[in-house]
Amino acid sequence: MRERDADIVIIGSGAGGGTVARELAPLCAQGVRIVALEAGPKLRPEEFTGREVEMARRLYSEEGGFLTEDRSMSIAFGRAYGGSTVVYTGTSLTITEPTVKRWGVAGLEHADLLARSRKYLAQNRVHLLPDDDINDNNRLFEQGCRRLGYRVEQFPLNLDGCRGAGLCNLGCPNGAKMGTHRVQLPEAERQGVTVVTNCQVDRIEERAVVATVGKAAVGEPSAWEPGEHRVRAKAVVVAGGAIGSPALLLRSPISQGLPALGRYFTCHPALILVAQHDAPITNYHGHPKSFYCDHFADSEGFLLETCMYFPFTTAKSLTGFGVEHARMMLAMDRLQMILVLAIDPPDAGNRVMLGTDGQPVVRYRFTDGVRRSLVQAMRASARIFFAAGAARVHAPAARQFFIEASDAGRIDELIPFDGLTLGTVTISSAHPMGGCRMGTGPADSVTDAWGRVHGVPWLFVADGSLFPRCAEINPYVTIMALADRVAERVRTEWPHLKASRS
Amino acid sequence: MLLAIAPRITPRSEPMTPAAADALLALVDGTLASRTPAMRRQFGVFLLVLRWLPCLRYLRPLDRLDGARQDAALRWFQGHPLQIIRGGFWGVRTLLLLGHYGQPAVGASIGYTPSTDGNAVLHARARR
Repeated sequence: MRERDADIVIIGSGAGGGTVARELAPLCAQGVRIVALEAGPKLRPEEFTGREVEMARRLYSEEGGFLTEDRSMSIAFGRAYGGSTVVYTGTSLTITEPTVKRWGVAGLEHADLLARSRKYLAQNRVHLLPDDDINDNNRLFEQGCRRLGYRVEQFPLNLDGCRGAGLCNLGCPNGAKMGTHRVQLPEAERQGVTVVTNCQVDRIEERAVVATVGKAAVGEPSAWEPGEHRVRAKAVVVAGGAIGSPALLLRSPISQGLPALGRYFTCHPALILVAQHDAPITNYHGHPKSFYCDHFADSEGFLLETCMYFPFTTAKSLTGFGVEHARMMLAMDRLQMILVLAIDPPDAGNRVMLGTDGQPVVRYRFTDGVRRSLVQAMRASARIFFAAGAARVHAPAARQFFIEASDAGRIDELIPFDGLTLGTVTISSAHPMGGCRMGTGPADSVTDAWGRVHGVPWLFVADGSLFPRCAEINPYVTIMALADRVAERVRTEWPHLKASRS
Repeated sequence: MLLAIAPRITPRSEPMTPAAADALLALVDGTLASRTPAMRRQFGVFLLVLRWLPCLRYLRPLDRLDGARQDAALRWFQGHPLQIIRGGFWGVRTLLLLGHYGQPAVGASIGYTPSTDGNAVLHARARR
């Protein structure tokens, strides 16, 4: 095992780790040695091919199909230089005040999060798309919502030079998405932070990290040679995401005395609804996600977003198989899509655990409330599709494969509550949250309001695992705002952290 | 076994060519290779269940049934009261969909032809 010395080790390079790296980078000028360890590769520009399966293998953990313990849901999260910010659509919303109040973390104020969020909206060049860059798939959603009187808003997006490839979730082939791989990490490296790719952290020891650098088939070579490395450090910031961070801490001796570790996992369980129009529409050309509807967030516990997926993801999202399924797939250029997301409650039983092989296992139970929200969301989506002129709709929990426009008046009957059968309907998530939640003490939380792990002064968490409840919006801006707080705390306490090394 | 039921999951107008079958299996194998040994074992066991359980009703394994009976058996698996059976079928179905729709050439055949300059296409269509 190769022994190494650093001052600060950051684990992960996504919205959390990338932000911390950027914010701590000025310390490098004072001689502070900072390394960021990233499990995934740093792809070369030409390696962003836009091919679905190829890019899923290059950029996601388990190709985006990480399954929960009972196989009822798959969870997608990135594994690359830039983490999930490489594969999101760039939707940049700020957390609301009622949500922060629901979080109920002493010392965490909405005004503070908002100010920090705005800093990242500016840094990531967030703006609204011009009208002529919005395709039919998005425009029809907006029209349908307005006709029904549903509140609908345009997504602010963190794009620079977007050419509408529509491949955001496969990594932008034009490099137009302003994730940490494009903004924070290059600047951190310029100031002296070392980013080590293909580096999987195995465990955290007392002021040290044990990691393995592997050989990758794609991307730039890692900064470190393949093999096992033990890195001594004065401070460690864990930002491996809401599945990776709890799992890493559970593998480490430090998990003793943290009964809430891994618990209160939430993820905005999601379904994709697909409608077919009689004539071709513009759907996969142009940015895929321009509008959202939060009209039912408070009353029914769900959000609706526009989306447009690729052939395999679309096929997987349809329920069933055979002739009807194939017929729907033959009409890719006539499909309109809506992503529905449930606002799921925090439940101590929903948790990240370790399997016998030390790898993460997610146990997730769908509450009756979440099931109800998903069904109501499907009904609302079907109404939006028909209000927008769709000929037929496929709702994953419907009694029949297609709901024809002539049956638009029977939506509640055709999408029954008992139609949502786990294991039959494809449910996915791209917003894993919680597992290292903030709070006041170790009984029901893992860190304080500044991301410091209870009882371990040199160990911090800075990612979506900090969320005590779900974000109720796309979470990346909030993750950056929280990571910004964590970086501030590390910076402020650096003289003490530096001096207290054992 | 996978190739035997592939035409029921993703029907085609013509029989699957050897090249298409190879491409399908290569994608499936690639995905299975990224999963844990335990998950690969479970998948293997489920394929055995999928093949032989229909014998209880049809006195023949799944791959020896005609198309209509294969469809009926697969729908029985899909809606089975036990989540573990439904989930197993979901996994097989998903892999077969991956093996078919994951092939870049299939995209074009279903009207999916993305462009790195999608906005140019969008704007051109708006002008028409």
